[in-house]
Amino acid sequence: MVKIKLFLNNLCRTIASKEIFDNKGYLRRLYKYFLVGLLVRLIFIPFFFQRDLLSTYQRAAETVFTGDFSSNFEQMLTHIIHSAYLLILKFIFPAINEISSVLLEENTWVSWINFNSSYNVFTLLTLFKILYLLFDIACMFIILQLSFDGEPENRLRVFKFWIFNPVVIFVLYIFARHDIIGIFATLLALLLAKKERKYWAIIVLALGIALRFFPIMILPLLIFYLARTKRDYVTLSIIGVSGLAAMELFSYFYFGRSLIFTLLNAQHFSYILSPRLELIIHDRIFIFVAAYVVIILSYFHAKKENFDLLLNYGAIIYLAYVSLCYFHPQYMLWIVPFLVIIFVRRRSLLYYHWIQFALLMIILIYWGDLVTKYVFAPIDHRYFIFLTGIIPIIERFYDSAAFVNIFRSIFTGVSLWMIYLIYKDNKELMGSKLNNNRL
Amino acid sequence: MANINLKIKTVVTGLLLALTLLLLTGCTGIFYIPGASYGYYIWEKDGSIFVEWSVDRKDTKFDGKVTTDGEISSYKLKEWEEDSDTIKVEENEIKFSSILDGEDYSDGFSFTPDDYTYLEFDLKINDGYDLSRINVGGFLESPGDSVFRVEKDYFDKVRMKHWYQKRPFPEFFYKLFANKYFTFLYLFILGVIVIEILRITVIARKKKKILWITFSYVILAVVEVCIYFILKFLVS
Repeated sequence: MVKIKLFLNNLCRTIASKEIFDNKGYLRRLYKYFLVGLLVRLIFIPFFFQRDLLSTYQRAAETVFTGDFSSNFEQMLTHIIHSAYLLILKFIFPAINEISSVLLEENTWVSWINFNSSYNVFTLLTLFKILYLLFDIACMFIILQLSFDGEPENRLRVFKFWIFNPVVIFVLYIFARHDIIGIFATLLALLLAKKERKYWAIIVLALGIALRFFPIMILPLLIFYLARTKRDYVTLSIIGVSGLAAMELFSYFYFGRSLIFTLLNAQHFSYILSPRLELIIHDRIFIFVAAYVVIILSYFHAKKENFDLLLNYGAIIYLAYVSLCYFHPQYMLWIVPFLVIIFVRRRSLLYYHWIQFALLMIILIYWGDLVTKYVFAPIDHRYFIFLTGIIPIIERFYDSAAFVNIFRSIFTGVSLWMIYLIYKDNKELMGSKLNNNRL
Repeated sequence: MANINLKIKTVVTGLLLALTLLLLTGCTGIFYIPGASYGYYIWEKDGSIFVEWSVDRKDTKFDGKVTTDGEISSYKLKEWEEDSDTIKVEENEIKFSSILDGEDYSDGFSFTPDDYTYLEFDLKINDGYDLSRINVGGFLESPGDSVFRVEKDYFDKVRMKHWYQKRPFPEFFYKLFANKYFTFLYLFILGVIVIEILRITVIARKKKKILWITFSYVILAVVEVCIYFILKFLVS
């Protein structure tokens, strides 16, 4: 009994960090934030979702109920996680079999209607989203450890900024997208990098890339941060792309097609190339790619030993992405883990982030009924289908695309300003590093 | 700072006022936005029956007829275009045809029937029936048959419906009650979290902590029982 208590004590000390766990006041605050955050999350869990959640579990159901493994070829690892989770749910709650016909329905509209009208839709949504809640909880405790060593007050602030972050709550519990799984792998990689476990850090990031592709954007940063010798650069780069390479090999031999070329030819990849400067004949400059190279080179020439600087550059890259490229609402989630740490040093960024969120709620309109009124469909699908949509209302008075794009442009302006503020923070971080070195 | 507070108060008051006006509009008829909402909207006010239709700025044909066993004593047209819309009013029948488009957001008519027991509607959109787009007396109070009748007291009955009998609430409450094991477990977990928050904040400062915590759980149990009966009542 004593051993178990000691083990749990040590576990909690590791999770919550020593300086917080050993101080009753801090620990109580951490627990309070956690409970309030959990309450907010649970309030939203059963009632809302965006169609993609159902599609994700429909693909998982094809694997679980029919044994078809090829239903989500592009995001294989994420698909495996969802399939395994659905399999576990099936064993714990055999009632899940009742919904198999709905999940296996091929007509997307019919399956959506049947899912929403089923009497146990709230239970299903809760079960489906608990997976994301688990990853969210894991992320919040990793973020707690990422920065501000020996500064429990600031660590608590970081925790608070994550737990009450509107983007996190919206994307995971209202919109219900699975980006948190990839973010978990990315944060774990960053934590390992912080602890100087360079190979493990890159291996986990490679796993993250195989999960969601997005972490590839910070792979060069992590390599620059971790590499000490020329050999390191080569080794870490090879490990970094090994996840994707493994997936490529697997898909080539198992499915007989290339994963990488499928991804490159997918619509989602064209988002990165969407902002462009047309020059002449065939000559054009992809603005995000150019900006990305500038950011990476800027980091390369900065003082790379500073871990906070690495996090700042992570924020800059993802902010540049949502500023310049076409993006889906859930992609906003990738900025948050980096920003919540910077908020502690630069409070003004927090306010700008809330403005970003408010603008995102308007930009959402662009995607139409699926991401606006249909999100509420579990409550009463018929009501929300026939309720007048927001686009026809705007169209009645003004061009809806122009309306949304005005806010989109403001969003870009705010995001670019945030990048500038982070750039200023970088200068201060590098200054403090230089001063520390002199001392 | 005081200036900012005043501005915030003004904006909030403005929004509340707009919301109140919107709700008041909903009380007199069925709220719809011409040129954005799509379907037929039928309601009764001061003995007159209003039949209006709107579409989200697409070329759409609305036609049909209304008959009654009484007598149509008067009628009025709303935003009627002589060149594209037609109406023929007889003693106990109104036939109409109208085309809405990007410029013409909505049309409609109202009439006063006398000595009648029922009204019979035969309403089409683009020469077909779309019953979910016909709102009689309230939003989504849709008929079950293509040609449908409403009795004289129908509109009063719809008007007398309580908020919880109007969409989307009945469906929401039904799902909560039909899946009661989930609902009560869910509420219990929420309750436990709230009690935990109270325990480490408010109750931590009290003397008889155990008593307060026990009392909180008793309250939670009572709340759950009350919610059970409330849901049972709402669903029935």
